[in-house]
Amino acid sequence: MSERPTAQELAEAIQEFLAGEILPTLTDQRLRFRMLVALNALGIVYRELAALPAEDDAALRALARRIRAGDVPAGTLAVVKAGVEARLRIASPHYLERYG
Amino acid sequence: MIAEMREAMQAAVAQALGRAVEISEPVLLAGGASKEAWAVDADGERLLVRRAAVGVIHRHTLSLAHEFEVLEAAYEAGVKVPRPFAYIADLAGREAFVMERLEGETIGRRIVQRPELEAARAVLPLQLAEELAKVHAIPAERVPFLTGAAIERMVEELDEMDEPHPAIELGLWWLREHRPSPRPRVVSHGDYRIGNVVVDEHGLVGLLDWEFAHLDDPARDLSFGLVRAWRFGVDAKRLGGIGEVKPYLERYNELTGFDIRPEELDYWELAGNVAWAIGCQTQAQRHLSGLDRSVELAILGRLGAEVEYEICHLVERAAA
Repeated sequence: MSERPTAQELAEAIQEFLAGEILPTLTDQRLRFRMLVALNALGIVYRELAALPAEDDAALRALARRIRAGDVPAGTLAVVKAGVEARLRIASPHYLERYG
Repeated sequence: MIAEMREAMQAAVAQALGRAVEISEPVLLAGGASKEAWAVDADGERLLVRRAAVGVIHRHTLSLAHEFEVLEAAYEAGVKVPRPFAYIADLAGREAFVMERLEGETIGRRIVQRPELEAARAVLPLQLAEELAKVHAIPAERVPFLTGAAIERMVEELDEMDEPHPAIELGLWWLREHRPSPRPRVVSHGDYRIGNVVVDEHGLVGLLDWEFAHLDDPARDLSFGLVRAWRFGVDAKRLGGIGEVKPYLERYNELTGFDIRPEELDYWELAGNVAWAIGCQTQAQRHLSGLDRSVELAILGRLGAEVEYEICHLVERAAA
């Protein structure tokens, strides 16, 4: 597990927000029902994610340790940047457009 | 709101103003994670009551008592800040202080984008330089509880997370390898950027959020507002999305005589990005640990990748 919050933890946060803060404010019966259905669906996403094996972050940890120790050979920056870019394509894909 | 809280607020405001007053219904303002902010009016005074939030651990931030003292010191030094009224040791069980509630815009995205603030943006670079020069001239003896902050502190905060972040490590490595010769430390705001200032159509109204005040190299405060995340989408304007760095730096140097070089700004801009990349993870931890459950905090753990990308970009540019 290298990326926090994990997708599962994000699903959980959304679930808490919708059930705890939004649902109690809904007075329209139809919307309340649809929200409960949506929360059920989110619960499926959460449990499915929970069943996935944890990601192995050993390589990432080793890289971080090497840089901390001052072992930064040529090419390190490119490797690190590519890793961040891959994470950004998931977390915030439009952000990369800001670098022309 | 509950009657007890209202009563406590009424007593606090009366104590702060030194006279019996009738207060308006206090309104809890949005956006304070570590501290509550209540807007309340009394006897023609627009007030803001800052009160400690529940379960907050202040490791690298000031207590409300000390934050209030720094605010007083800044006010005495003629810095544009809300007028401090009084520190309240016990407001319904938690510490608080009462200050003036300034009128104007504080939301960063609006400050950099709203058409009606265009004239303000034109004068803000010089005004920000002038106010910071005043802050940096506050005698350290006036606020003897302030401590220094070192790059090493960021490493400690990162290690507490126990998550691998090679880009942050790379930024820290660059900062260790290229440390400029240290300057004598000055009283620093610690979070000097768009988002922590009040602006109206004429320009700067006041500086807020003094909880990160500490002693530091003046170039660090001067550079924090350059961090891309604090340009709120207007990336081309390196100074907080509102203007150019050159006139800002020149005015600051003219007033302080410090002669800070552009390369020092580059260095501390990278340091600011490293600090904020770690800050994103710290905020996400507040959610993950259960201290303060919130989607807003949680998602910062992922959006930190934006800041890490900027770290890579800045290291790449510096190495070229």
